[in-house]
Amino acid sequence: MQNKIAKYRKEAGLSQQDLADLIAVSRKTISTVETARFTPSVIIALKIAKHFNTSVESLFVLDKND
Amino acid sequence: MSNYDIKSEEKFMGQNAWFSLFMGVTLLIISVYPMLNQTSAPLLFLGTAAFLGSFFMFVIRGGFTWRMKYHLTYKDEYLNTIDTIAYKHVVLGLLFSMGGVYLLSDTLALEVSHSMMATFYLAVMSLIYGVSILWQSKD
Repeated sequence: MQNKIAKYRKEAGLSQQDLADLIAVSRKTISTVETARFTPSVIIALKIAKHFNTSVESLFVLDKND
Repeated sequence: MSNYDIKSEEKFMGQNAWFSLFMGVTLLIISVYPMLNQTSAPLLFLGTAAFLGSFFMFVIRGGFTWRMKYHLTYKDEYLNTIDTIAYKHVVLGLLFSMGGVYLLSDTLALEVSHSMMATFYLAVMSLIYGVSILWQSKD
């Protein structure tokens, strides 16, 4: 599953640590979600989407293999 | 969960991984070296001193982590996940090392005491836990 979190984050001028602090997760969570090494829970996905004022579907995109 | 708690957990996990590596290497030396040189007493003393020294060093550097109300699992989702995966790696590593020892048991049995084998298994578990956490934590 791919995602556009890094794009949204950079557009908002936030570092990984800033975003992690805002949604109360570790920086490693943000780092590994952005690089698609870790699939977050629905709760974290919703928190990120809410923070960027967008939908989960616009942040996360399913691969052909998913 | 406050940001302070999460940062404490991240810090604790990093310290914990390195401590596991140090402890694993120390235990490995304690368990393997006497087998090779047919001696144990001086090295056991040194090994115990090194283990206690590294333990207190990490406890002090880790900032006395009992203050962060750490209970059994990490609360952060990713840290909790890699911790669980690391334990799975530990179990697999332990099974493989026990299998290896089982296959070699006839040649090992006369020279190796139970305490040395127990120390060896602990060393393997500590090393695998530390390496697994560090490997999974890389950016």
